[in-house]
Amino acid sequence: MSPLRWIILLAGLAFVALAPTQMKNYGVYLTTLWCVYLIAGMGLNLTVGYAGQISLGQAAFLGIGAYTAAIMSKAGVPYLAIFPAAAALCFVVGLLLGFPALRVQHHYLAFATLGFNMLVFLVLRNEEWLTGGTFGINNIPRPTLFGWRFNRPLDFYHLTFAVLVLTGVLMAFLLRSPWGRAFAALRDNPIRAESVGINTTFYTLMAFAIGAAYAGIAGALFAPLVQFVEPAPFGFATSLSMLLMVIAGGSGRFFGPALGSVVVVLLPEWLRFAADWYLAVFGFLIVAMMIWLPGGLLSLPERVRR
Amino acid sequence: MMHRRTALKLGAALATIGLPAGAAESEVAIHNNVELSGTGVTSGSMWKMGVDLAVKEINAAGGILGRKIAITHQDNQSQPQIAKAVATKAADAEPYVMLGPIFSGDVNVSMAVAENAEIPMIMGGEAANLTQQGMKYLFRTSLNQASAMPKLANYLAKNGVKSMVVVWGANDFGKGGRDAMVKEMAARNIKLAADISTEPGQMDFSPVVVNASKANADALFSYMNEEESARFLIALKKLGYDKPVYGETVLVSQKVIELAGPAANGAKGHVGLSVDAPNPKVQEFGRKFMQAYNTSSDHNGIKGYTAVYLVKAATEKLGKFDRKAMAAAIHGGSFSAAQYPGLLMDESYDDKGDLDRESYLVEIKDGKQVITEVLPPVGKK
Repeated sequence: MSPLRWIILLAGLAFVALAPTQMKNYGVYLTTLWCVYLIAGMGLNLTVGYAGQISLGQAAFLGIGAYTAAIMSKAGVPYLAIFPAAAALCFVVGLLLGFPALRVQHHYLAFATLGFNMLVFLVLRNEEWLTGGTFGINNIPRPTLFGWRFNRPLDFYHLTFAVLVLTGVLMAFLLRSPWGRAFAALRDNPIRAESVGINTTFYTLMAFAIGAAYAGIAGALFAPLVQFVEPAPFGFATSLSMLLMVIAGGSGRFFGPALGSVVVVLLPEWLRFAADWYLAVFGFLIVAMMIWLPGGLLSLPERVRR
Repeated sequence: MMHRRTALKLGAALATIGLPAGAAESEVAIHNNVELSGTGVTSGSMWKMGVDLAVKEINAAGGILGRKIAITHQDNQSQPQIAKAVATKAADAEPYVMLGPIFSGDVNVSMAVAENAEIPMIMGGEAANLTQQGMKYLFRTSLNQASAMPKLANYLAKNGVKSMVVVWGANDFGKGGRDAMVKEMAARNIKLAADISTEPGQMDFSPVVVNASKANADALFSYMNEEESARFLIALKKLGYDKPVYGETVLVSQKVIELAGPAANGAKGHVGLSVDAPNPKVQEFGRKFMQAYNTSSDHNGIKGYTAVYLVKAATEKLGKFDRKAMAAAIHGGSFSAAQYPGLLMDESYDDKGDLDRESYLVEIKDGKQVITEVLPPVGKK
């Protein structure tokens, strides 16, 4: 990366870290929610954007992570154990979801992952003894780590931001490693990738498992942020929103989900000035964006240059 | 091409549409956190219309203690994480009172925000557990499921129902009502002949009707949201189900009657709020609502309307604008409709924020709710 890009990146990070200190609770809450969706979006970008595996099941992993955090924190388990547990559980379930991807591709895979999302939704809704069913789980405590309670909105935001930076750095390393190139090869031409010795089975499964683990971490932050979980936010509509996040930002671009989650999480809030029309305006903007910027917002400079 | 001045004017106009009216000294700010999109849109829209009607009337009559109400409506998309954002935004603005939401999940996240900010929150949720969590600033606008179901179960037992099919929507509202009713049935030795769950948004209810018929019970109890209830009534009529069909509030609501058409005829149930109640104040409200919106108000319209009038009644009783004192005044307080006509009915609150008032047993005849019995408030028994 050029020095200029480093400066822009560090300035951007400093802005995101410090801006909420000047905001009221509403702004802090929304920025935290943006970070949470961004972590899940980064995971989906790996699965969809880098490895080329379509997935309509990311909300299910967000849900598994959120319910893991809710159930474990209510049972008094410390958050230091909850984050790895949520990530590990989603990694394993993601690995299992990767198996259909070894046999089917494209829209068939989309429906397989959609079915998985519905399955998870039904488990969350019907297994009342574990998940609280339709009533959900309320009063989820904010985390305490190393004796520090992240109870105030700004403190919890800084914890979420720290997790975002950590997961972002890990993702950057992963994508720059041979694994990243193997994922890209798998996406661009699986047959050629296999012919040059890339284990496509392994990398397909890993693309799902790692993407799912990111959503699990995001879920483990979602639960203490909202302090309430019920099945509805983890349905198929949220999976579609997450896919929109990846595509609207720029699929297969590192910073794509950051802009995409601005579109999905923050834009509807900014459009509230349009009163009853705000969701209609949002829908119109998405349609317009897909028509004029199919490569996502990050493709705007290339489009301007052309 | 658009002139620059026109564009500027348009931009300025757009920027001001829907902006919360800043509560000046002569105004009192009320924020409404409500389901105006998503699965709760039917309930939320009615609630909003009720709120708007009350605000218009109160402002036209000089406001509350001489201050006009500045109302702000914010859509929570029927999603708890958005409802929490909306509640947080409202709390940041430090309104006098927060109104809504209606769905239990949305209420659950919003009430914690209101509690921390010490702002009274008058909501439309009916799930029993909402007021059982020790909140000091949470108030209902209708009976909760735990108080409504015994009234209906008593009626069923009195009419010789020995076995019943229970059909419910698989969300917090449906499941909460189902649990409350099954408990009351067991207490009165009414057998649960079939326990059938349905999906929110379900379109085809034929299999449900077939399973209900197979159970061969004395009656059927249906507890779902508005659209599903209407579709279910249509399916029951189409497939010739001939046993009595009962419901609580939603099944016999104006919205369901409007959606189901003639298929709603014959349905019976208990309602806490009805514009056809044998009460001149409620009927007058029904006429005003119809005149303003060209549609009948259902229970959510009445809830929204009375929520605003409760703010007025409690504040005027107190003689000042004081959030903490107002919340304390509503707890254990009684408000008479003779003194505060906008409340439509006498109501009293307990220390948890639960509401008690009279309610009705109704039957749908020729597309109209006909009241068959007026039930006194639980506390008067």
